[in-house]
Amino acid sequence: MNLRARWNLVRFFITFISLFSGWLLFTWSLDTGSLVAGVVSCIAVSLVTWSIFVDETEAGRRAHLPRPHYFLLFLGVLVFNMYVASFKVLWQIVRGNINPSMVHFRTHLRTDIARVVLTSSITLTPGTITVDLNEDHLVVHWLDAQTTHSRYAGKLIKGIYEKLLRRVWL
Amino acid sequence: MALTLVWTIRFLVVSIVVSMVRVVIGPTVADRMIGLNLVAAQTLALLVLISVSMDRTILLDVALVYDIFGFVGLLVMTRYFSGRKGEL
Amino acid sequence: MNIGTVIFFVLGAVFNIMGNLGVIIFPDAYTRLQASSTCSTTSVLSFLIGCMFLVGLGPMLGRLLVITIFFFVTSPISAHIIARFAWQNGMVAWRRNFRMTGGRGRADG
Repeated sequence: MNLRARWNLVRFFITFISLFSGWLLFTWSLDTGSLVAGVVSCIAVSLVTWSIFVDETEAGRRAHLPRPHYFLLFLGVLVFNMYVASFKVLWQIVRGNINPSMVHFRTHLRTDIARVVLTSSITLTPGTITVDLNEDHLVVHWLDAQTTHSRYAGKLIKGIYEKLLRRVWL
Repeated sequence: MALTLVWTIRFLVVSIVVSMVRVVIGPTVADRMIGLNLVAAQTLALLVLISVSMDRTILLDVALVYDIFGFVGLLVMTRYFSGRKGEL
Repeated sequence: MNIGTVIFFVLGAVFNIMGNLGVIIFPDAYTRLQASSTCSTTSVLSFLIGCMFLVGLGPMLGRLLVITIFFFVTSPISAHIIARFAWQNGMVAWRRNFRMTGGRGRADG
């Protein structure tokens, strides 16, 4: 069994495990009939979709499996920041005093999934929306722009997310 | 507790009707899409609240399928409108 | 009487009102998208967390978790899709104290 065949098998199992965990959450039962139906249908679906679910070139182990404790810490920070920033945007809506601007900056993250999670968390934090992502260059619309300088804006917006994500996905 | 659920459902229905204003008066296509996205998210919350208040597990599937179809519909709309010049 | 449910429902209702107000009064599509993203994500997430407190452990909790994860993943992506659509079709962002001189308003050309 050469290297490529083994990597294809691993991709198939990643697809199968993520589908089957969704099945377990969705049915919430451990009956034999339910489990057998879940295994059969998950194998059928992952036989079709394993080649597009996991990218072929991202072969590193750290590119797919996050470190669980840092990932939970990241989720907690994200939800807390969401609520805090929501109150800030709410106060700006009440005052009606906004200063929107487009800012550009770059990111240092290397894997694709880490970049996608970074842009999603920038969008999810209210007050900033990722407009465009091109390799490592981000265009962000900022509701209350304090600066348009690239490096300072990047430091203010990415902030703690990038430091945490470099530990989660390398 | 049932009273809280009932009043939240009534509030959400009024809120959905209010947010349809942006869909009707939006000057560009992107504004109407924002309004539709807002209506879809609030309808998801409304469906979840109704199925929790009726205590029927099977109705949560309807909410999930509604969310998936809203997302796919948004993708199809951006694909459809992005080739057309001068309509935005 | 479940106190967590009431707290999260009230929080969701406040964010919902403010999001609707922001979508109506803001001046252009990007800023409306900011208010819409705030409103839809945070208030719907608050409603879902309140429902999770309400139903307790059981088959409804699993489906609520699936719905929450799906909404948590797709909501920023749909906001990003709309913003990218407006950006690629050349919509100009609104600036305070900024007079338009006929350019496209994009920083890269």
